[in-house]
Amino acid sequence: MPVDLRETRLPGVGVKYGFRTSEGGRLAIVLHNDGMREIYFFRHEHDDEPEAVIRLDDDEARQLGAVIGGAYERPKIVEDLELALGELTIEWVPVPDDSPLLGKTLAECGFRAKTGITVIAILRDPEPVAGAQPTDVVQKGDTLVTVGKLGQYAAFRKLLAEGTL
Amino acid sequence: MTLAQLALTVLLLGVLGVGANWAGISAIPAYLLAGILLGPNEPHVTSLIHPSEVTEFVAQLGLVFLLFFLGLEFSLDRLRRTGRHVGLGGSVDFVVNGAIGLLVGIVAFGFSFGALVLAAAIYVSSSAITVKGLIDFRRLADDETDLILAILLFEDLAVAFVLGFAATGGGSAAGTLGTFAKAFGFIAASLAASRWLARPLDRLLDRLPREFFLLFTFALLVGMAALAKKLGMSEAIGALMAGVVLSETSVREEIEERFFSFRDLFAALFFFVFGLSIDVGALGRLAWLLVLAVPLTIVGKTAAGYAAGRVGGFTKRQSFNSGAALIAHGEFTIIIAQLAAGNSRLGDAVRSDLTAFAGLYVLATATIGVVVMKESKWIGRRLIPVPRLAEE
Repeated sequence: MPVDLRETRLPGVGVKYGFRTSEGGRLAIVLHNDGMREIYFFRHEHDDEPEAVIRLDDDEARQLGAVIGGAYERPKIVEDLELALGELTIEWVPVPDDSPLLGKTLAECGFRAKTGITVIAILRDPEPVAGAQPTDVVQKGDTLVTVGKLGQYAAFRKLLAEGTL
Repeated sequence: MTLAQLALTVLLLGVLGVGANWAGISAIPAYLLAGILLGPNEPHVTSLIHPSEVTEFVAQLGLVFLLFFLGLEFSLDRLRRTGRHVGLGGSVDFVVNGAIGLLVGIVAFGFSFGALVLAAAIYVSSSAITVKGLIDFRRLADDETDLILAILLFEDLAVAFVLGFAATGGGSAAGTLGTFAKAFGFIAASLAASRWLARPLDRLLDRLPREFFLLFTFALLVGMAALAKKLGMSEAIGALMAGVVLSETSVREEIEERFFSFRDLFAALFFFVFGLSIDVGALGRLAWLLVLAVPLTIVGKTAAGYAAGRVGGFTKRQSFNSGAALIAHGEFTIIIAQLAAGNSRLGDAVRSDLTAFAGLYVLATATIGVVVMKESKWIGRRLIPVPRLAEE
């Protein structure tokens, strides 16, 4: 069910987003102009005082967003998807910081040709690459979203870490 | 002012500021208090610093930075995007509290330009104190916060015009009108510049090496302040418009980031220097005016916020919270009084009364306002019964 998100400008402060939770509470998120984020939780929609207020700086807020958004743990829906793929699997593979393949395009890396694994997307800040192209470049901090058979991953990880097989 | 005196001053500002913060009130009254303590007036034991060209200059820089930041926040685009409350809520507040201000002004100074200045000083609430309260008391998620901020925005706009004439108006009616027209023209020209000059300014500032970026921005800021002054208005409106001109550029955030510390330091000194010229000895002479103005302000602001809230479709308690949040007066009241203090068309007696009144008035309303704002939900629960079904 889509969430009815309400956006309000707070002149001189920032922007506020609010929505009702399915359990009858209310959440309000304030993005301050100076980068601070606040999350207000009201147990009941019309409560006078918030039950909890969470204050985060920019880095913490991004981290929390990534965790809640499912960038770290694969949520249930992804597991179901994997079941549907049968023999194939989807793996999130972080690129090692010292990988010799940093700065090379996917085509130059030759993942599919050498290991059979296909890179379908790249997770990176601030904007993930959906539908990775052969010309996309592997960068430090990337996490590659891949499709392949389980047995092919050992070779893939070796290639990613060492540059050769 | 020697370095040792400056060190002592800044230390005292820091200590009192931390104390105010700990007590949950704004730092502005604390800075004013520091000025009163160290200034040449009562109490004499602690008189350490005398107003001089140096303190005047520092205060001027503080004023310029304060208004520059205000200007950066209000681009045409942002004004357009702010909600429906600005016009309605702002007008209710303007009519009610403008009238109260004018009443007090006329009682104090008769039908004169001084009355008009005093009216403006009593009309404007403090954006700084209220916004800090909204954050500290965890009110940002409340619906009525939109209304409160909208009313403050309307007040900021109204004050922009006051800044144009407070420093040089008075004298003949025609002369005052002329100043007003000039202010209007200057504001219009700056708004136009913010629209058409944003791109070229962007390209220029973006290409500059970082250290010179700071210098050029500062030159533009002080230059516009000086220009406004040359044109017979106040440096305040020039600084405000420098902010408006830069508000549409893409470097706005970087400017804010780099000038933040300058503003905080010089704004603190600005309030301190203003405090220097407050004569607490005038309390005896002005007590009756304060006894009139402070309760009227509390009632007027609460009533205006309440009325604006009810008209805007808020509940009684929410409307009461809106009014309570607007009681505190601060930076604008001081700025208006400071500009008027430099206006030679006002008599000496009027100017010193205005300064002392503004200082004591801000001390009173800022303290009372923050306490009432903090407790407004509790007060609301006692005063206003809630329809049954909302609870449980």
